[in-house]
Amino acid sequence: MNWKLKVPTRGRGLFEWAQRNGLFFALVLLCLVFASANDRFLTRSNLTVILLQAAVIGIIAIPGAMLVLTGHVDLAVGSLMVMTSIIFGEFMARNVPLGVAIIGSLVVAALWGVVTGYSVAYIGMSPIIVTLGGLAGARGVAQLVSEGQTEYGFGDTFAKLGNGRILDTPVPVWILATAVAVGGIVWHGTRIGRHMTAVGSDSVSAESLGVRVRRIPFVLYVVSALAAGAGGLIITSQLDGSSLSIGRNVELEVLTAILLGGVSFTGGRGSLHGVVFGLLFIGVLSNGLILVHVSPFWKEIVIGAALFVAAAIDVVYQRLERIPIQDVEPEEAAA
Amino acid sequence: MSDSATEPVLKAVNITKNFAAVKALRGVDLELHAGEVIGLIGDNGAGKSTLVKVLAGALLPDTGEIYVDGEPLVLHDPSIARATGVETVFQDLALIPTLDIAENVFLNRELRKERGVFSWLRFMDRSRMRAEVQAGFDRMKLKLPSTKTKVSALSGGQRQAVAIARAVLWGSHIVIMDEPSAALGVYQTEIVLSFVERLRDQGVAVIFISHNMPQVLRVSDRVVVMRLGQVVGDLPADGTTPSDLVGYMTGALGGSDATAEVAP
Repeated sequence: MNWKLKVPTRGRGLFEWAQRNGLFFALVLLCLVFASANDRFLTRSNLTVILLQAAVIGIIAIPGAMLVLTGHVDLAVGSLMVMTSIIFGEFMARNVPLGVAIIGSLVVAALWGVVTGYSVAYIGMSPIIVTLGGLAGARGVAQLVSEGQTEYGFGDTFAKLGNGRILDTPVPVWILATAVAVGGIVWHGTRIGRHMTAVGSDSVSAESLGVRVRRIPFVLYVVSALAAGAGGLIITSQLDGSSLSIGRNVELEVLTAILLGGVSFTGGRGSLHGVVFGLLFIGVLSNGLILVHVSPFWKEIVIGAALFVAAAIDVVYQRLERIPIQDVEPEEAAA
Repeated sequence: MSDSATEPVLKAVNITKNFAAVKALRGVDLELHAGEVIGLIGDNGAGKSTLVKVLAGALLPDTGEIYVDGEPLVLHDPSIARATGVETVFQDLALIPTLDIAENVFLNRELRKERGVFSWLRFMDRSRMRAEVQAGFDRMKLKLPSTKTKVSALSGGQRQAVAIARAVLWGSHIVIMDEPSAALGVYQTEIVLSFVERLRDQGVAVIFISHNMPQVLRVSDRVVVMRLGQVVGDLPADGTTPSDLVGYMTGALGGSDATAEVAP
């Protein structure tokens, strides 16, 4: 008794391939254009600049992408950056030791993540509304705590976080590399990544199989808040000041990298390398347009167009993926 | 066929469950033996789904005991039921559309690399999982697309096959199927029914829930009829006709004391 079942495969491969790799080839193409237009583009120092500018967004985008993968979103990251920065500045102004100030401000960010994660994952509140509240609220806390004052002058040790170099590579780039490595192991190596995909794809089914559909997003919200806090401290170190201007629009830049990288906004699909390509695409574009003396306004237009194309590919892919079930005829109550 | 002399693999005693004023289960007893297929039928609201959820561990009964292989079982979590070898194929199949076949079969039971730095990093052993899924499908003579195929690309019957195969691959000796053929066409239904027969041949005990009387009578050894939260009939499939079953389901047969009573 063998059954032969037909395997429908019409054209899905091409779109899956384009979705997975299209951005990579767009990135390569972009690099080739800029490299041929300007010799300085492919120098080590320029590539380091690109990575340095992408570092903070990237550190935040990794847990952020995992949240989107599980069908959640964190819009509060930019505000958590500035809140962490301001609280750190207040600690320093009160002559708290550096280590305590760093850990103390990160603990506040983590607690914010705990409240957000609990509200969304365990109580079931809307991720968009809760973190939109966080977007306004955390920046409000920062303004209240700072009373509009900018603290500055945090010393040479703290300056190394943002400006220091190890092996001629900036410290934030090392932090980004570590975050990518850890994120890659969690996402693609361990079962956690698979479970994140399951939660985002069909949380009811995932739960009936015992997947921890609440704990996973909860932990990710805490990690996301911690990453935002760390990003805030890196910028604070680079500026040597805790300014209220930190973190504006970061949530949009983070989300742009994630969605450009092919993580489905409805959850359940995406890869970490896609997010890294998305991040590099934006970084290379911003840097290259300046090198070739094109108005930076074009950057916004190109990113907008790239997002549009990414969304279009996603829709086509999803349509192709949906194969109708044959003979749908529920046999209700035969009696 | 069942052998009542042997220990039942699954035994439920006096299970009750109330939802507010509704008595969903009013003292249900059920015995299931190895290699036995029982059909569980009843009209909508008779308590079939509640009973299935209790046996699957998705729902805690108010009173009553469940024994698996003679061992009492405290169920409050599907993973405990799964660990004891009770697998439920839910009506919605509980498959993740964006994961592939092998990933679905091993979801939440992923195998880890056993040695090396990757084991220390808790990496999954993808190739071993794929190989085991493929070997399992081969053993069951089940022809499915590559184990790398996403479930969203499968037809209804193929998904059903994956969901049932997942239950069996887990070495479970008790499989509960909740309306496995409800949304399927004739051909796909045939696949599922012959699958059930194959499970019985392998000594797996099956509870098969369906509204379709001819299907139930075809695959079952015994048919248990539920009505208003109670078992009102326990009939051998041989010699029973669909109209007998309808009689029990509607209360015309069986002389049940169950009336359409709702709890005070």
